[in-house]
Amino acid sequence: MPSRRFSRSRAAVVLAAAVVLLVTACSPGGGSTSEPTGEPVTGGTLTYASGDAEPSCLDPHVGGNYPQALIATQYLESLVSLDEDGEVIPWLATEWQESDDGMAWEFTLREDVTFTDGTPFDAEAVAANIAHVQDPATASSTGYLALAKVEDVVAVDDHTVRLELSAPDSALLESLSQVWVAMESPKALERSQDENCAAPVGTGPFVVDGWERQDSVTLVRNEDYTSPPADAEGTNLPYLDSIVWRFIPDSASRYAALQSGEVQVIDNAQPDTIQSAEPDEAIEELDAPRPGAANRIELNSSKAPFDDERVREAFIRSVNVDEGIEGLFFGTAERSYSPLSSVEPLGLSLPELFTVDTDAAASLLDEAGWAERDAEGYRVKDGERLTLDFPVSTNQSIPAEQSLFEQIQADAKTAGFEIKLHPLDLSSWYGALAENDYDLVSAPYTKVGPDVLRILYHSASIEPAPSGYFANLAQVDDPAVDDLLTRASTTSNPDDRESLYEQAQRVILEGYYILPLYDQQNHFLYSSTVQGLRAMPTVSTPTFAEAWLAS
Amino acid sequence: MTLPVPTTGARRRPAPGNRRWLLLRAGGVVFVLWAAATITFFALRLVPGDPAQAILGGPGSQAGPEALEQVRREYGLDQPLVVQYLTYLGRLLTGDLGQSYSLHEPVATAIGEQFGATLTLALCSLALAWALACALAAWSVRGGRVAWAIGSGLELVAAAVPHFWLATVLILFFSLTLGVLPPVSVPGPLGIVLPALTLAIPLAGFLGQVMRESLLTAMESPFVTTARARGESEVRIFWRHTLRHAAIPAVGLSGWAFGSLISGAVVVEAVFARQGLGRSLLSAVQLRDVTLVTGIVLVVALAYTVMTLLTDLADRAIDPRTRAVTQ
Repeated sequence: MPSRRFSRSRAAVVLAAAVVLLVTACSPGGGSTSEPTGEPVTGGTLTYASGDAEPSCLDPHVGGNYPQALIATQYLESLVSLDEDGEVIPWLATEWQESDDGMAWEFTLREDVTFTDGTPFDAEAVAANIAHVQDPATASSTGYLALAKVEDVVAVDDHTVRLELSAPDSALLESLSQVWVAMESPKALERSQDENCAAPVGTGPFVVDGWERQDSVTLVRNEDYTSPPADAEGTNLPYLDSIVWRFIPDSASRYAALQSGEVQVIDNAQPDTIQSAEPDEAIEELDAPRPGAANRIELNSSKAPFDDERVREAFIRSVNVDEGIEGLFFGTAERSYSPLSSVEPLGLSLPELFTVDTDAAASLLDEAGWAERDAEGYRVKDGERLTLDFPVSTNQSIPAEQSLFEQIQADAKTAGFEIKLHPLDLSSWYGALAENDYDLVSAPYTKVGPDVLRILYHSASIEPAPSGYFANLAQVDDPAVDDLLTRASTTSNPDDRESLYEQAQRVILEGYYILPLYDQQNHFLYSSTVQGLRAMPTVSTPTFAEAWLAS
Repeated sequence: MTLPVPTTGARRRPAPGNRRWLLLRAGGVVFVLWAAATITFFALRLVPGDPAQAILGGPGSQAGPEALEQVRREYGLDQPLVVQYLTYLGRLLTGDLGQSYSLHEPVATAIGEQFGATLTLALCSLALAWALACALAAWSVRGGRVAWAIGSGLELVAAAVPHFWLATVLILFFSLTLGVLPPVSVPGPLGIVLPALTLAIPLAGFLGQVMRESLLTAMESPFVTTARARGESEVRIFWRHTLRHAAIPAVGLSGWAFGSLISGAVVVEAVFARQGLGRSLLSAVQLRDVTLVTGIVLVVALAYTVMTLLTDLADRAIDPRTRAVTQ
């Protein structure tokens, strides 16, 4: 269940307590509601086990990936946050105002906040952080893109800061809510990058106390914590004394550690694990799909055979994704029909475009000139087989997803497509994309807000950067889409924004550029002794600010 | 890079003198280290993929062009490969292992942090493997023909078991069923039991098989017949006489075993979430952290050659046939 629904269900519990009691008494446990029972208890150490690779730097400004976001959520805070409905709410900034021309934003900052090294949080600190993210020496990737339009930062007074932009940015607040551009102590940022990576200093509920490489990071309570986001519940936060943040890469070991009580929370819970944990009363689940793009297969429209829309539609019409998801994800993932994650309020879903119709697929292929079949049953045109290269990143696609791709391969074979799956490690996978050596690819993209559409489908994102990397992997090159996305990202009118993003998504879906699969999966399992755990409505990372351990 | 092949027969050629022998071996060590560094360096650089992207990108992050260029400059990735290689070798000669970009610290520091844990694991496993192999051999000697067959079969199975499977079975049994041992590594002696056992069982099977063969030969030797005639029990004969004979080739194998333990540590440290070189190596390979990978490979190669050297020395001390004839 997504974080927002998760919290909504909290209200439902209060309203219909008796009914819920009855239902829970009759149904197997392991649901996703963790209604705090009794008064929060202060103290105790919680052990978290992450299945992600250990970050190489604990400062999410540097690089900027999800494992960094997971841990940094515990010690860094942003200017703004989101509530359950996706509305922007105050955090380190109390108020903000966009200028009439949209070229500047003024933020009023909280005056009672201090970084854990004693440095006061003020306008200068905000300026120093934005400068740090934008400095090429920091080598920020995610944060850098989020702040792409920020040209200058002006400290109007101690607690007022103005961000001057190169163009209006309707996504600015959503971008600033991400932990990749969270606020760090300017004094700490002056240290060498290696030092700052080992122990970044923020204003969050916990403080980085030590890092035993290849083992764990120890976080201790920030005794002077004053700055929870506007939607936080409870007083005198945080409750926990400390968190031991471990890295247990093996999925079975991670689950065994949770079952035996060595750890209290695990991430990257796999579908089979979630299913086997369901009857266990002592284990709860938190399902927090990531924001931004849904997981989808991109059809490379820049070259044959997918430069022909009929072939793209034929492919999409001939594979039965629903069946694969049902069989492989055991009900833990819901089919998506949208380019955007289900937690994005502006996502557009068009299920009717994705119904399986093998007859239609066959006639589309005939029309497109792929009428013949060779001895192995694959379609051919001018003596060439209808072959699709599909590089698969084994770091990013979980085993269930890789199996899903194999089922898609089998379905497509019946229709006459030969899919060649190439399992690759991350670097080789990037290499294949840079060489335009793919027809199908699945790449996750986490970002708060629908502006992710501009990054993924604006033609500017086809232009390979010197790195060779580009985000528009479907290579959608449509002036109409570009225009819609540019206008959506610069308008100040929320209704216009919604309508522009809807139109853009419609063009992308109706052009059969993508095959949406499901939300970016983000499942956590935790011991039922853990109370008050929730996922941030921003990037869906769990926060332990309000968590406590029931005895 | 020769494996210490145990020889029970006498060598035809007299072994070279001690000094020359040491010099030759030392030269061999240097060659092994150079070869290890070179092969690792090129193997990692010749696989497709952009290290700069790997430095900046983890799953879910996208790097901007400026950041990539900065990284390339900073790590010398914009230089031709040969230049990068020579620079690297030059630095190695001065004893500098370089800077790990994936850990944001010097490679020497990173290895220093991890080496102790892996060494402890390897030594514990080696000791445990010896204990298991001896215990099984002792039991099967006492138990007659059937026990001998069972022991031999067990060793064969143990030697063939893959580490990751064994680790899962041990976790299932000791942690989830019995609940006596933690499924992941924890501080203190309890945490090392399962990882060490995982590494020790296949090794014990291997050592046991080698021992068993020479045990057979030894048991048919005249001195065993004499001991039997004196009325000594089979168990006593095993511990007092035949084990020593049987152990010689297995001792020689301990050098090789040490190397295999380090490679086994890659799997075991990941499964049990244990700190160590194996785990660092795995993540370094995934992140294309060439300096760190090469550094670890060098240290492992060094440990392996030193261990082989030590077992050879031990072999020369125990077995007079391998010593040079002093004039």
